[in-house]
Amino acid sequence: MKMVLGHNLRIPYTAGLIIALLIIGFTGGIQLADAADTYEIDTAHSMILFRAKHMGVTYNYGRFNEFTGELMIDETDISKSMVEFEVKTASVDTANEKRDQHLRSSDFFSAKQFPVITFKSTKVNMKEGKKDMLEITGDLELLGVKKSITVDVEITGKAKGRQGESVMGFESVFTIKRSEFGMTYGPGAVSDDIRLIVTIEAKGK
Amino acid sequence: MLVLKQLFFGLLLPAVVSGGILIFARSLSSKKDAVNADKWPLNWIVAVALSAGYLVGYFGLEGFSVLPFPPRQGIHWLCCLAIIGLIVAGFWHFSRWGRLVAQVVLAVVMPRLLLNSAFKYTWGQLEGVIWWVCLAVAVFIFWNLVQQSFTILPRGASGPFVYFGLSGGTALVLALSGSLRLAQHSGILVALFAASWIITFVLQRRSNSNWSVLPPGASPVVALLLAGIWMNGYFYEEVPAVSAILLAISLFLAPIGRMAAIQNLGARRSALVQIAAIALPVVIAIGIAVARSGLFDESSGY
Repeated sequence: MKMVLGHNLRIPYTAGLIIALLIIGFTGGIQLADAADTYEIDTAHSMILFRAKHMGVTYNYGRFNEFTGELMIDETDISKSMVEFEVKTASVDTANEKRDQHLRSSDFFSAKQFPVITFKSTKVNMKEGKKDMLEITGDLELLGVKKSITVDVEITGKAKGRQGESVMGFESVFTIKRSEFGMTYGPGAVSDDIRLIVTIEAKGK
Repeated sequence: MLVLKQLFFGLLLPAVVSGGILIFARSLSSKKDAVNADKWPLNWIVAVALSAGYLVGYFGLEGFSVLPFPPRQGIHWLCCLAIIGLIVAGFWHFSRWGRLVAQVVLAVVMPRLLLNSAFKYTWGQLEGVIWWVCLAVAVFIFWNLVQQSFTILPRGASGPFVYFGLSGGTALVLALSGSLRLAQHSGILVALFAASWIITFVLQRRSNSNWSVLPPGASPVVALLLAGIWMNGYFYEEVPAVSAILLAISLFLAPIGRMAAIQNLGARRSALVQIAAIALPVVIAIGIAVARSGLFDESSGY
């Protein structure tokens, strides 16, 4: 028995069966890959804010204008997901150039010596008893000091973009102690506790 | 409260520790020894006084919790440089060749270690090598200038006074350039030289001795610390290039005191001219830093 694929191309039935199986296997593979989607951070719709208390009196806010990152979300097995961030320290912006210059100095971020702050996840879990809430553990490296931190991340939404790509939103609010990373300058002027507000829109690649 | 803590640990305590060791060194030496600048180990004790004073200030400001080994930041290397300088100073008077080898090795190794981040993130391979060679030569020349200045400057209080002014100028330039932390480290040196200046001045008045408080053996500690602070300031902070160069070359003007025309003015006046010549580039360096800082702009504060 012959299977006709074109005007003059004839393939034995068994070979056709193999091709069909391969096609099924291939599309199945695509579905598997789809389960662990890779997302890129859309920096135009994302923000990394920080909050520090000044002189123990007022909360001052700042942001980092330049950062990049990638997320790999496996919805079938969330523990296989992965998050990576890189924030450019020189892009610190508190709406005051003098203060930004001071923040870039070795008193704080030492931007010339440590141009980036990095975060790389080591464990991703669904937060127990909470819907759309992830618990991400990872290594935060600031001023050359690497520390493991665990943060709660809310999945704020999912949608399809203009080109049909997947879009996901995340937000996390957590606090770090800057002294644990060797940033010890001006303990009375700037609080040790720094709150970070990270809101991310990620687009499927 | 915070400012008081910084003043105590960054200025007063280093000055007291260093001054105490210097007085101890002076009490051990006879009048004859005191005039002999090459006497060991009395001159090594001067290096101990400067190094110990700096380390007290370093840990007072940075805290003991951050033991800087291996050093992560350029500032952390300053602590290591104070210790290395102290060790090298211990062997300073033994061998001329050993001294030269130590100078060459440290002049080459120091920029590579201290500027590791610049090599890693800022410079390409060729640019890095060019900077490395230039900085090694600069450190070597500067070290020799420091050593030479200890003998060229008039004995007594002039030496510490010149270094008090140089480190004070450095502290001002750094503070104006936005790095208060590094300025505090230069401030420790200000305290150390102020203490040695006052001690020499008082001793001069009381016993009419011409004790050389800064012998050549102390040059490794002084040269390495000053070079380390300037490298940090220029490469990792916003110190203007011209200010950094002016500070580094100010000691080139020390030999002016040996010119016949200047020496004819008499001991006191020639010392003043010499000090003024060294102070001139330092003052210009501060002026440039003031102009660059926008200190008098309306939006200068925050």
